[in-house]
Amino acid sequence: MHALDGIDPEQFIAGFFTSFMNDLVRGGEDVAVVVDRYHTPDIVQIADGSRMDRARLIAHARPARKHQISARWEVHEAIADGDRIAARYTLHFQNRKREGRTEVCFFGRFADDGRMRQAHMLTRLVPVKAGDAADAEAGVQAGSGQPATETSGLGQAPS
Amino acid sequence: MTVRTYTVIGMACGHCAGFVTQELERISGVTAVAVDIERDSVTVTSERSLDIAEVRAAIEETGYELAESP
Repeated sequence: MHALDGIDPEQFIAGFFTSFMNDLVRGGEDVAVVVDRYHTPDIVQIADGSRMDRARLIAHARPARKHQISARWEVHEAIADGDRIAARYTLHFQNRKREGRTEVCFFGRFADDGRMRQAHMLTRLVPVKAGDAADAEAGVQAGSGQPATETSGLGQAPS
Repeated sequence: MTVRTYTVIGMACGHCAGFVTQELERISGVTAVAVDIERDSVTVTSERSLDIAEVRAAIEETGYELAESP
């Protein structure tokens, strides 16, 4: 049985990233240990054309811990097919110096145990201005007919 | 004019590049910043010779790490 079987893909994506970030920021474990819990050793992520393997992912994760980034994933829509998920979500992030929002179109592949194997992401930094969020979310919800899934606490973790 | 390239660890996307650029441009005398994500490099153009300590401080402010001095 695959980790995605019978699971709402919106909940899975929100839970995956939220749980990963919580372990990263609040846990006392080595960053590499946390990365490996959520990603297979051959993980490849391509974000806006930039390729990240496991080593680069670990290096990229260290700043999140250092700055105690607070993050929330708002999943607008997601569909699953076998071991793959396609999702569109907005990452809301904040640390002591800045806050922002990034809209992400995500295409990922996951292992049987729920760890991420591969991801392609196209991202867009969204200006934080009063009214923007309401406008964007209203458009999405009008299309889907469902409220967006938001997660800021512990979510679905890979087993 | 001074042009120096630094190695910065942890950048992964255009947003990382934007944060680093924004912070380095706050340093007095800096006129241009160019980030190469694939090579982990940041090239800084400035009107004066920059102290490595102020460059390191700016990069660390973003959360990334200056790997070595030029």
